[in-house]
Amino acid sequence: MKLFLKLLASFVVALVLGVGSALLLLRGGLGSTTAVGPWMTSDVIGSADADPYTRARVAVGGLLALNRSETIYFTAATDSNGETLRMQCSYKIVGSDPPARWWSITAYAADHYLIPNPQDRYSFGGNTVAREDDGSFVISAGPSESGVNWIPTGEGDGTFTLTLRLYNPAEEAVRDPSRIALPRIAREACSR
Amino acid sequence: MKTWPMWIAGTIVLAAVFHILTIFALPYGIMDRAMAGIAAQAGGVNKPLYPEPATAAARGIVRPSPDLLYTACVYDVGARPLRITSPVPDTYWSLSMFAANTDNFFVVNDRQANAGSIEIILATDDTANGGNGAPVVVAPSSRGIILFRSLIASDEERASIDAMRRQSGCEPL
Repeated sequence: MKLFLKLLASFVVALVLGVGSALLLLRGGLGSTTAVGPWMTSDVIGSADADPYTRARVAVGGLLALNRSETIYFTAATDSNGETLRMQCSYKIVGSDPPARWWSITAYAADHYLIPNPQDRYSFGGNTVAREDDGSFVISAGPSESGVNWIPTGEGDGTFTLTLRLYNPAEEAVRDPSRIALPRIAREACSR
Repeated sequence: MKTWPMWIAGTIVLAAVFHILTIFALPYGIMDRAMAGIAAQAGGVNKPLYPEPATAAARGIVRPSPDLLYTACVYDVGARPLRITSPVPDTYWSLSMFAANTDNFFVVNDRQANAGSIEIILATDDTANGGNGAPVVVAPSSRGIILFRSLIASDEERASIDAMRRQSGCEPL
């Protein structure tokens, strides 16, 4: 009986440690072999070359992601100063068209789903964003209306992430995503 | 003799085994759940599903793009090959296929298709024949997901793109 209890305790502890450590490791987004400022991507998303950890991360946080030749997915969990993106803060995302046929920036809650908001607005893309005179764009993200390109972050107080999708990226972007100029994310203010 | 060092070592080894099993099994488990959800809504495997554009209420697939219209089909080519057909709209469009372990093993977009419509045979080997010379894609797993993406280029074009993607289909040969 004593031996059985010891075996059971060992099994339960190992199960919690093993599964828990795996799930903890998978919380860090889609993997990050390449970083451009706060934007992170993995070169092997969707690819058969993906290592088991990347494959598991994609399954958890980006199921049915396309491979890099078709789409490059960048995700930002922080602003350009390295501070975690928070729903109660307002941000300006400033940049110009990345080298791709079409792009979009979408905000997601920590659970990887779109953030509920009364406007039902979740993203802006190359075909919908209002531009400055020089062709650049300023997208705002935050709880309060700000500018014409506003992505509401709802009424929650958790963290959020931004995903930048580059559909049919230019050849040089596929070859070396680290050299792409991507938008800067600047924090403006926080309500709490 | 003290046995607790042996118990600790054994527990750590067992924990490492559980860790590795979780990492390897999770993609299959999550794909299985996604396939079950799509098939349930579509009325079975090898049948297309035409969901509405993603909103915050959508809880099927993580990180959906709200700018795209998706059409999904759970494939099962274990018994018979599958004929996949779709019109190709004049906007960003792609047809992609995902194996049971989440790998994106095939993708073609509107520019590569370079035609008004596309037909592809999905099978477990390259001897499958659709009867009209349609290219054959070999699936690395007998079950998986086929996904069509159509960009909603503008509000004005939304209805026509939606009508076109509803002509996409997948049916056993």
